[in-house]
Amino acid sequence: MLGRLARVALVARQAPLNRGAQAPALGRLLSTDAPSAPTIRRPDAPVRQQLTDVGKYAAACLPRFVQKVQLTAGDELELLIAPEGVIPVIAFLRDNHMTQFHSLADIAGVDVPARKYRFEIVYNLLSIRYNSRIRVRTYTDELTPIDSICEIFKGANWYEREIWDMFGVMFHDHPDLRRILTDYGFEGHPQRKDFPLSGYVEVRYDDALRRVVVEPLELAQEFRKFDLKTPWEVFPNFRSSEEVPIGNLDSPQGKIEEPKK
Amino acid sequence: MAGVLKKTTGLTGLKVEPRPHKILTALYNRILLSLESAPKEAAYRQHTEALIKRNLEYVLTVKDIGKLEEKLGYQVEESIKLAENELMLARRMAQWKPWLPLETKPSADQWKWPL
Amino acid sequence: MRFSGTIDYSTVVKPVMSTTMPEAKRRVMSLYKAWFRAIPTIMDKFDISVSEKDCRVKIREKFEMNRNVSDIRTIDLLVMKGQMELVETLRLFKTKSHVMAFFRDSVPEKPKDFLSKFLDGQ
Repeated sequence: MLGRLARVALVARQAPLNRGAQAPALGRLLSTDAPSAPTIRRPDAPVRQQLTDVGKYAAACLPRFVQKVQLTAGDELELLIAPEGVIPVIAFLRDNHMTQFHSLADIAGVDVPARKYRFEIVYNLLSIRYNSRIRVRTYTDELTPIDSICEIFKGANWYEREIWDMFGVMFHDHPDLRRILTDYGFEGHPQRKDFPLSGYVEVRYDDALRRVVVEPLELAQEFRKFDLKTPWEVFPNFRSSEEVPIGNLDSPQGKIEEPKK
Repeated sequence: MAGVLKKTTGLTGLKVEPRPHKILTALYNRILLSLESAPKEAAYRQHTEALIKRNLEYVLTVKDIGKLEEKLGYQVEESIKLAENELMLARRMAQWKPWLPLETKPSADQWKWPL
Repeated sequence: MRFSGTIDYSTVVKPVMSTTMPEAKRRVMSLYKAWFRAIPTIMDKFDISVSEKDCRVKIREKFEMNRNVSDIRTIDLLVMKGQMELVETLRLFKTKSHVMAFFRDSVPEKPKDFLSKFLDGQ
């Protein structure tokens, strides 16, 4: 605690003298000057070092499957792997003494239609022992099945069903692959980029038939204008500078320190 | 601690193991045996072997459970679980052969974002 | 999936279920027959106001829609989806309106000849 306080004080003393930072908060709010730098959370150096070590260690142990290791957003470790390595990589991360990612936080999907393999499958793992997280990303297309990790993490069952339902990515050896979020009889996979925002059908209650009916959607011409600009990528320059590749993976057999306990 | 039996591990579902030395020795030896299917220069084998040999050394020399737990960094029951996992992994690794060079190269734009 | 040696995965197409066309065809046929066999059960359980013949025609039509699909993996995926639909139906996950949604009986037929198209305003 004391050391931490001392470090904060040191950082404060070493920070370049900035009139804006020295001025009282109210003055800063009222001043018309543009702020000198945006407020960005700075990742902790020891945490970064630990994640780098874990990344290097995993890449060295699994050179057959790991394509790239990188840190994004400062302190988020990413392992980019080939699709046939899903089970080995996840099993290694869970069962090895030095990784112990015993908790599967989430599985997500990404659709980028311009790529040869348009879907990305993202596994988020948490190691409670080392208090660290890792993100494993792999890729596939509409027809290539991915190996299910249900045998490693029972909790993957529903996440994989969600991906199947939303993106239409098939999972091999899944114990119970069926829809989970959409209605029975629903056609299409809603999270695909080529799925129209309004869907293909509309559902209403029919008084004469006394049940819910499904009808093909007919949009009037004036509603067919789509705003294709995504609101999420307005800072592409900021995004692309974030990823930091780790180490030299051409010689992965190098000596790597054991992560600190 | 000698003679005094631990009452609980404090972890749900994890029972106190009365004879941890015997079980840990057996498990560690089996892991070392399974690791021999990997080539000597494989990083997985090197790192795991070093760690398991160190742990096995502790198990063989430190008879007191409390002191052994201090040395290992885990409760012995947790160590047993970890060793069981590692053993399963080591056996499956022999099939997967992850120490071979990279098999599938990604296409150029696969990991590029924004496109 | 087992790793027995080095395989160049960039040149190997990973099958969904079937590896040959006859195998895929067999799966399609068995699904088709399974749907046909399920007709009496479906009619009994959902109390739907269509005849058995209508059901058969509808199932046939649904399969005919994908007649021109020639990719084995696509066929397999379609078979899987059809299988899931069948299970959802027979286990009563679906309700009557879901089953009747196959028939689209509330959708008015599209005008075909010129005059009715003209009167419909298209």
